[in-house]
Amino acid sequence: MTATRPPTTFGPGPAGRRPTALEAANPLDRGTLRTRLANRLVLAVGLAWTLVPLLWMLLSSFKSKTEVTAPTPSLWFTPTLDNYVGLFSGANNLTPYLVHSVLAAGLSAVLATALGALAGYGLAHTRMRGKKHLSFWIISTRMAPIAAVVLPLFLIFRGLGLIDSIAGLVLAYLTFDLPFAIWLMSAFFADLPPALEESALVEGATRWQAYWHVVLPLTRSGLVTTFVLCLVFAWNDYAFALVFSGPSSQTLPMAASQLVTQTGIDWGQLCAIGVFVVVPMMLAGLAVRRWLVTGLTLGAVTGE
Amino acid sequence: MTTTAPVRPAPTDTAPLRRRGLRFEGRLLTPGVLLLAPLSLLPFGFIVVMSLSRVHLLGGVRFDFAGLTNWVRVFSDPDVGMAWLRSLAYFVLTVGLEMLLGVVFALCLWRVLRGRNTALSLLLLPMFVAPVFVGLLGRFLTDSTFGLYAWVLRHLGIETDVLGSQGTAFAAVVLMDVWEWTPLITMIALAGLSSVPLAIREAAALDGTSGWQLLRYVVLPSISSVLLVALLIRSMDAIRYFDIIWVTTNGGPADATKIVPVRLYEVAFRFFDLGYAAAIGLLMLLVSIVVARAFVRLLDRRGPAR
Repeated sequence: MTATRPPTTFGPGPAGRRPTALEAANPLDRGTLRTRLANRLVLAVGLAWTLVPLLWMLLSSFKSKTEVTAPTPSLWFTPTLDNYVGLFSGANNLTPYLVHSVLAAGLSAVLATALGALAGYGLAHTRMRGKKHLSFWIISTRMAPIAAVVLPLFLIFRGLGLIDSIAGLVLAYLTFDLPFAIWLMSAFFADLPPALEESALVEGATRWQAYWHVVLPLTRSGLVTTFVLCLVFAWNDYAFALVFSGPSSQTLPMAASQLVTQTGIDWGQLCAIGVFVVVPMMLAGLAVRRWLVTGLTLGAVTGE
Repeated sequence: MTTTAPVRPAPTDTAPLRRRGLRFEGRLLTPGVLLLAPLSLLPFGFIVVMSLSRVHLLGGVRFDFAGLTNWVRVFSDPDVGMAWLRSLAYFVLTVGLEMLLGVVFALCLWRVLRGRNTALSLLLLPMFVAPVFVGLLGRFLTDSTFGLYAWVLRHLGIETDVLGSQGTAFAAVVLMDVWEWTPLITMIALAGLSSVPLAIREAAALDGTSGWQLLRYVVLPSISSVLLVALLIRSMDAIRYFDIIWVTTNGGPADATKIVPVRLYEVAFRFFDLGYAAAIGLLMLLVSIVVARAFVRLLDRRGPAR
């Protein structure tokens, strides 16, 4: 932390230049070698801490049974696709689990997003009395502890015959996806400038036409973000599936936990399932990265 | 906020409000609210009734009114008391570490100009991993015979079955949660940092303030409200999830990781004491509502959006 370089120009400079004014003005970076190295080091450690488990899972999914459980971890081995082939053939065929997961998570995300797109607009613009209570009810439904929701739903579903059905899982996932979608969409709608919608109304459009042809297309990114996050929450669920699913509705996380048996765990196979379950959600999540902050803070913080 | 009077308004808008039924906003709200109501209020009603009953499952579901028996048990059961204490420790450690590491990573990323987006994308990946797989991966990495992390620990001279003894098992489940959710804090803090006005940073830099002073008196205060949002969001989810513990230690060894939701699942779906579990669940709900209240208050103060 020595000599201050007063900034003269702004904006990041071309690659390979000396530290730019923007960096100099950045209070934590005075460009001294020591602080820059420390900074890089912390980031490198953080990246390693984050990525090693994921890379190890990826690597292990290509290992044979004996190599996976070798006492000395190896980086060099003959890769095999056996674990992936095993996912769709033989005793641990994953196809029904995949179908259940896609149906349960997909349907709940579609329903939540559709209803959220309608109700979110209503919530953002309504001036009715009790609006505060309504929105608080919605957010507290989203935030209710899963265990406290599963318990009464278990009795209700038993009474309605919804245990071990896709419909039951969809409803269970809607308990958190629907309030999330309503709340988040209302945040996206509230951020839109009202001028465009107003001009559509002035042109003679009905409220519905203005909503459908002007407002909704403007929040396309909001819709996609809401859908992706709803999908991720439902796809990754384990606590609900543990109680509500049976042979005809078990989802992928259940398949993984069923590979864990008393007699031993086929870790290679498990890593392959892991890659299979995790990678699509990562891709979907990164696809909406720009709006992720808004989405995951339920609209409280806007990013970039 | 809402539109001003349109030139050719839809029929309902001309009518005095509330006389011709719902306005446009109300009509859009209806389907979602109609579906959410049974999904939210019905379970709530059930759990209240359950907490005041003995629930029989065999031979058809039957509630026998039991007064406050379950509630007396909740407040006198030492096992549940311990579970609350463990939950508190788990909560403070996970959320505390996540906030600390998340802010540190965000500050580091903020200083990097080239490759920031790539680094951030990579750092975010754990958030999308299903908690079950976080737990299973944790078991895989710490397995005492072939786990990668166990192997590293062995070479550092630490020979232990990580998930097999109480202290290390607790530390392990905490670290797994920290691994998964630190990225969320990093992302939120970075969004806050990006909105720190350049002018403030320049002015401070011109004044010749030292890096730590700047951090303490300029940077952190200007992202404090964003950090509060991060804290509340993370707190609400920390109360919700327990999948990681369920698939790694299942509350063991010797109850070392038995936090409240794990205890609830055990009471409900292993001992089938549903009335008692309902009382525990209602208490949890109460805690999450208090946090949600704080979150909404914060939003109200920050902007007119809601």
